Amino acid sequence: MELIGHWIASIPDFAVPYALAALGLILTERAGVLSLGAEGLMLMGALVAIGMQLTLGSTLVSLTLSMLAASLVSVLFAAMVVWLRVHQVIAGLVLVFFCQGLSSLLGTLLGWTSVPVTAQGPVALWPLSELPLIGGLFVQNPVALLTPFIFLAVAWFLQHSGTGLKWRAVGENPQAADAAGIPVSAYRFVAVLAGAALVGLAGAYISLLSTKLWIAGMTGGRGWIAVGLVIFARWSPWKALAGAVLFGCVEALIPQLAAAGVQLPQYFVLMTPYAITLGVMIWVALGRRVGVHAQPGALGEPYVREERR
Amino acid sequence: MTELVATTDGASGTASTVTRHHEPWLSRRYTLEVRQHMPWHRQVLVLLLAVVAGLLVSGAILVAAGVPAGELFQEFVIATIFDAQSLQAVLFQASPMIMVGLAAAIAFRARFWNLGLEGQMVWGAIGATAMSIFEIGPPALRLTFMLCVAAACGLLWALGPALLKLHLGVNEIIATLMLNYIAGNFLLHLLYGAWKDPQSAFPHSPQFRGFERLPEFLGASGAAITLALIAMLLAWWLVKLSRAGLYLRFVDANPDVAHATGVPANRMMLLAVLVSGALAGVAGFLVAAGQEGRLTQAFHHGYGFSGILIAFLARNHPIAATAVALLIATLFVAGRSLQVFYQVPFSMVQLIQAIIVVCVASSDFFIRYRLRRVSPA
Repeated sequence: MELIGHWIASIPDFAVPYALAALGLILTERAGVLSLGAEGLMLMGALVAIGMQLTLGSTLVSLTLSMLAASLVSVLFAAMVVWLRVHQVIAGLVLVFFCQGLSSLLGTLLGWTSVPVTAQGPVALWPLSELPLIGGLFVQNPVALLTPFIFLAVAWFLQHSGTGLKWRAVGENPQAADAAGIPVSAYRFVAVLAGAALVGLAGAYISLLSTKLWIAGMTGGRGWIAVGLVIFARWSPWKALAGAVLFGCVEALIPQLAAAGVQLPQYFVLMTPYAITLGVMIWVALGRRVGVHAQPGALGEPYVREERR
Repeated sequence: MTELVATTDGASGTASTVTRHHEPWLSRRYTLEVRQHMPWHRQVLVLLLAVVAGLLVSGAILVAAGVPAGELFQEFVIATIFDAQSLQAVLFQASPMIMVGLAAAIAFRARFWNLGLEGQMVWGAIGATAMSIFEIGPPALRLTFMLCVAAACGLLWALGPALLKLHLGVNEIIATLMLNYIAGNFLLHLLYGAWKDPQSAFPHSPQFRGFERLPEFLGASGAAITLALIAMLLAWWLVKLSRAGLYLRFVDANPDVAHATGVPANRMMLLAVLVSGALAGVAGFLVAAGQEGRLTQAFHHGYGFSGILIAFLARNHPIAATAVALLIATLFVAGRSLQVFYQVPFSMVQLIQAIIVVCVASSDFFIRYRLRRVSPA
């Protein structure tokens, strides 16, 4: 019973990075920009969060600056895909290489690698935290506690606000949006930056709030898993949250099993998130044969006024 | 603000008067035009300018990271290319680079984003090492066996995502990437378990025997670079001369029309992906049997990304890919010496690759479009 309690309490630590990264990607992709750079943006967020914590010491400031840093590097991506119409897959991959190189270079040069930090610890949401079994779910760091509200805000924005309607129009049919007087390029540029901020926060969560140190390449493919999660969620924030929680449940189970003395082959355990992602992708594909196609209509297509498709 | 400017009409020699507007820079309006065509020599010029810009930016970053500016040229150009030993090292490094570059180029021609080159390399090397560990095949044919098994293993690891994309429409980018992580962890499982070197107890496989290593002629890397060049010629034949290559170009230009005219698009894609996987598998064999002489933990790191960048910079052309692979190999070798002499982390090489690609990708814009000022109405 105690084991189950521990398991439930540790789920958000695994689920929140996936959830925030996927939400950021959905925000960008709903405006029609295919964003494959999540892995790199998470690394930048993770690095800057630790670096700022080491220099300034305030968790809130570090998290904010890590979001800003991710947005700042994604200006490069936005300029490439929105202004220069570079192929979005290539631009996304390049962003990942760029951030991987830059983050480990900066981490080494500035001496931020493998230095443990102290950051804001968990906050108990009394009286929910006193509940039996699931009480641990309500003793989390503030970002984890805020995540459902971030989802609520983004989902409401996309679905119910006027700007959100234009945002989605740009992603579905930029020609029509342009004809209706919506500045397509500006919307897409902002979408890339806003999404990147959330992805950067996801990276900062991993380094600053979960691991509490920086190692080069520490996100270990979680950005790519988030990209897969978005396809699984069919670009719906709530489904992405559900998917992230599902992933969190499975990943949180592994250390608990090890603690209970179950012997598992280590490297096969490390494979599981990737294997599950692959399995989920296949499962979604099997379902898509009958289901609706929910991908934004203009996803991955650069918009040029002069080009009629 | 308006002013009158007198110009002479060259043809008739009469003077005419036009009105030109001088507005603040930010309020000028520009529009994008799609260029119909740019002559190839200007395209090459734009490309070269982009590469030079990328190298300049990279140089500035290296200087900021503490490498003396004067040493940079020395390190990259003189010491790497004009030094016989370094040239050897470049050729040595280039052979697997050429293989992964070709692998990526062929898959991309079929519009299949094979980001699983590293996983396919890992399986190629595992297959080749299995031949050595279990002593399969007579010594005289062992190396050939290793090569063939490596190609087969890479091919099989690419088969899964290809079939998933063809039959279920599973996104190949995610599928191939996930398979990389799975292959990498399986490699560690072997090296920390059954295949650990019994002599040193280090997590790498036992050393290959002499006849299981690529022979050396014309310098240390002879056999490896010869294999890479043969692969280049085969790939060139495949994409430029063979019927499959013609079909692939057709599919690439317009999938719908190609399909309507009876081009077996799906079979062509499958063929291209399998060839791509086999080439990546051979790249794994080249690293294991040519460079390391055993199966090691992290030999595949960076090759997948480099392969993709090589294919992109070479516009999926096999011979251009070989040339670009040589450049990237130079970068790797120079990067390694920078790492040793100036403590610049090796990730710098990845950053430089990324910067060069950013510049080249951005320069494409000027080839495809032209900016034109909108004349005020």
